[in-house]
Amino acid sequence: MAGLGNHGAELSIEAQREPGGAPVLALAGELDISSAPSLEAAVEGVVAERPELLVFELSELEFMDSAGIAVLIGASRQVGAVKLRNPSPIVRRVLELTGLVKVLQVEP
Amino acid sequence: MSGPPQGEQPEQAQRVADDAPGQGPVAASRLRSAKSWSPSRAAALALLLGAIVTAGFALTTLALYRSSENRLLDLRAREVGSVLTAVVPSIQTPLASAAELADATRGDKQKFRAFMAPYVGAGKQFVSASLWPLGQTRARPSTIMGARPVLTTHPQRAAALFARAGSSTSMGVIGVLDGPDPSLGFEFATPGVKHGFAVYAESPLPKDRRSKLAGNSAFSDLDYVLYLGHSQNTAKLLLTSVKLPVEGRRASQTVPFGDSAFTLVVTPRGPLDGSFFADLPWLVAIIGALVSLAAALMTGRLARRRQHAERLTVILDRTAAENHRLYTEQRSIAQTLQHALLPDEVPDTNALQVRASYVPASSGIDVGGDWYDFVNVDDDRMLLLVGDVSGHGLPAATTMAALRHAALAYAAEEPRPARVLERLQAFVNREPHRYFATVLCALIDAGAHELTIASAGHMAPLLAVDGEASFVEIDAGVPIGVAGGASYAERKIQVSPHSTLIAFTDGLVERRKEVLDVGLGRLRDAVEGTRLPLGDLLSKLVGELYTQDHHDDTAIVGIRWRD
Repeated sequence: MAGLGNHGAELSIEAQREPGGAPVLALAGELDISSAPSLEAAVEGVVAERPELLVFELSELEFMDSAGIAVLIGASRQVGAVKLRNPSPIVRRVLELTGLVKVLQVEP
Repeated sequence: MSGPPQGEQPEQAQRVADDAPGQGPVAASRLRSAKSWSPSRAAALALLLGAIVTAGFALTTLALYRSSENRLLDLRAREVGSVLTAVVPSIQTPLASAAELADATRGDKQKFRAFMAPYVGAGKQFVSASLWPLGQTRARPSTIMGARPVLTTHPQRAAALFARAGSSTSMGVIGVLDGPDPSLGFEFATPGVKHGFAVYAESPLPKDRRSKLAGNSAFSDLDYVLYLGHSQNTAKLLLTSVKLPVEGRRASQTVPFGDSAFTLVVTPRGPLDGSFFADLPWLVAIIGALVSLAAALMTGRLARRRQHAERLTVILDRTAAENHRLYTEQRSIAQTLQHALLPDEVPDTNALQVRASYVPASSGIDVGGDWYDFVNVDDDRMLLLVGDVSGHGLPAATTMAALRHAALAYAAEEPRPARVLERLQAFVNREPHRYFATVLCALIDAGAHELTIASAGHMAPLLAVDGEASFVEIDAGVPIGVAGGASYAERKIQVSPHSTLIAFTDGLVERRKEVLDVGLGRLRDAVEGTRLPLGDLLSKLVGELYTQDHHDDTAIVGIRWRD
């Protein structure tokens, strides 16, 4: 999991809110070693309000590698629960192989 | 029995080392070219060139000036000659007329005097005029006007002069008559007249023959010397405006004068074409010299700048080469460290053949977080650990080192894969941290052909036998460092004789924009159907699966039952 990623992977992050008030980070594009720091910063901004639940909307996320998983794990340590919504097959497979489906809520 | 781990590192190191010498020859050639350029030599060359061109121009200008001056001088000499030619009739005509009058009047003294009066006297054309009867045994004047002729003091010359008088149509000119009052004498007699008369007149000459032209004369720019006769004979010098002999440029002209001639020599008192043209060659030389000097200075300056720039280039090249070398060295150090952290011996036993390989990322100097370890439990059993710490650089390497040592301790104490992972999880979760690690732990029983595996988020190993390959089905737990994963499941399977276990980290199979299963399938396909020696198999997998631009490092371990 080492090495400098030099791909210009574009990740767009949109902060939204659930009807119930839970913060939502909608991700689109690619989450890898080069774009992970920007998501990390976005997560830090959201967890400052200490929400019970943080939702990641992943339907537009095309790719995620171990650096992205590290950010998700980091988020799960700081809030009550992390929910991953609508991951693509690529992303879901990464979650399964790393056992994260057991500790993070993945829907559907 | 033991063997070194299979590694791609030497090849990698060789590849980066090859890049560095490329800078060498370039820098060296620039250094050589910089040495060949000496600013002082270039300046001297420019100066020499300028001097040659300037000298050429100056000499050409001088030659043109001289030729022009000579041409002008010839022109002026001809002009003076024309003026002299115009003077001749003013002398000859009165004499010829007086001679005719004397012949007609048989030497009438009154008529002669009356006719010649306007021409004779102080400040007039002649100082003396006289009438000489021809055919006498002794030449004597019958009538004298003005001063007594100097000729009378030279009886022999007088006799010779009048003996031939009347034999030609031209005026007789008698050379300079020396005496207290040097004079020039002229004689004219009408030819073919019996008992005729010759008219004789004299003009005075300055004693030192020196005469200046008036300052406002058309010829004030000239000095002149006038001789009687056809040659420049100083004995026959009539007039001169300059001290003899005449030096420098001069032109001469001969003008007919009676039965003799005037020889005129002119010399310029200054440049005829104006002083500007005389100074032009010097002007050209001075300007040329200044321009050459300026060009030389400029050339020297430019050459120095160029030399400076070339030196700078050489320095920059060296710096770039040095940076490249340092980068390569640092990268190499990082990789060496990484490699040093990994076991330098793999535990080949009588029952198990073991090979391992670590391939660093193709770019970046960061140390990866991939590792593998072997723990000999007893004669038959060995515990295998393969892990991958998230992140990169020193923090990942530090975390990896801490995890490795903890895992080795737990494995030695309690060689059960699930327990090792659980204790690692507890160890890591004691303190807050940003990193996590996937770890595969497998207990290999060589004698019993048994495999017990637990995974903390790590990809399952591949098990191959007789050309068939499949991934071991395990229930992966959460990665080490992720809260909530307190317990891990173990899976125990029986393996066939000569089975091969391939454990790896995700760098081997992960590719961008690709479902992991595709990469896993690629690995399985590469292993299936091959019966290569274990070392060759690992080399083949690394060669085929690892993409050229891999941004992740990877570790791969192969274990083969010898029976």
